[in-house]
Amino acid sequence: MEIMRLVVTGPVGAGKSTFIRSVSEIEVVDTDRRATDETLMLKKRTTVAFDFGRLQFGPEMALHLYGTPGQSRFDFMWDILIRKAHAYILLVAAHRPHEFRSARRILGFMKQRSQIPMIIGLTHTDCPGAWDAENIAIALGYLDANRCPPIITVNPNQSASVAEAVIALVQHSMQGCLV
Amino acid sequence: MAISTEKLSGILQNFVTSTNDVQGAAVVTPDGLPLATSLPGAMDEERVSAMSAAMLSLGERIGNELARGTIDRIYVEGNQGYGVLTSCGEDAVFLVLANQSAKQGLLMLEIKRALTELKLVLM
Ligand SMILES: Nc1nc2c(ncn2[C@@H]2O[C@H](COP(=O)(O)OP(=O)(O)O)[C@@H](O)[C@H]2O)c(=O)[nH]1
Ligand SMILES: [Mg+2]
Repeated sequence: MEIMRLVVTGPVGAGKSTFIRSVSEIEVVDTDRRATDETLMLKKRTTVAFDFGRLQFGPEMALHLYGTPGQSRFDFMWDILIRKAHAYILLVAAHRPHEFRSARRILGFMKQRSQIPMIIGLTHTDCPGAWDAENIAIALGYLDANRCPPIITVNPNQSASVAEAVIALVQHSMQGCLV
Repeated sequence: MAISTEKLSGILQNFVTSTNDVQGAAVVTPDGLPLATSLPGAMDEERVSAMSAAMLSLGERIGNELARGTIDRIYVEGNQGYGVLTSCGEDAVFLVLANQSAKQGLLMLEIKRALTELKLVLM
């Protein structure tokens, strides 16, 4: 059985923990604690180490999903998780443009440590004020559309949508292996 | 109710200076923010706090998963010394750093004592 480790990262409240909960076949290992920082504006609990879920992908492969904390004070966890990952998805809440900078910062951190395949998943596209993919790409620093990683839309609350995102990520990373 | 961080700092400073072989201590929130710290100069309190929270949460989770019951403390022993994490009520985590010559039993006793004091302020 092959194991593929996928990391789900992104700013606070993007939907990382929800994403993993939606598709994991095991009870998710979560390390959410009561939030006491500015996270409280968005939600009550926040991830302090990582989320872990597992998903069987065909008969030969198991996917291990690791969700990171969003706050940069936990960047040592970003570092630990990305070093062992085979691919990752950056979740960005499309309706919170003030967080694009934090997403960009995470991206920079990951890029510095790892060249593994990645895609961008836009969440909260159902919410008022959501930006479109093109403008988010620019906000994240991808000025040239040809050099931009694949951008997909995902709703972490819907397992079918998350499953599609996971497939997109696995496929993208396999393409990466061929070239 | 506001926690008196001044009192917490006082207790920590006193603990660090008066306990043999203790090099630093911190009280942090379970989501990894510093409440009060008295740490060696080179250590960043924000980082230390986040790490403490991450480690305690994982330790508790492991305790749970491997049927070890409620976790009293997490213990890291390296050739340069010890790091001991103790849950300090629902709203705080207590981290103590000691050098390698610390006597474990004594250290635990001192930590227990400090915990009692801290809990009174945190209540
Ligand atoms: N409406 C809507 N809500 C979402 C979407 N994605 C996530 N959420 C909600 O946003 C919150 C995100 O929480 P969480 O998964 O803890 O985010 P994390 O900080 O990235 O782990 C949860 O309440 C989710 O239900 C989305 O695409 N649409
Ligand atoms: Mg989370």
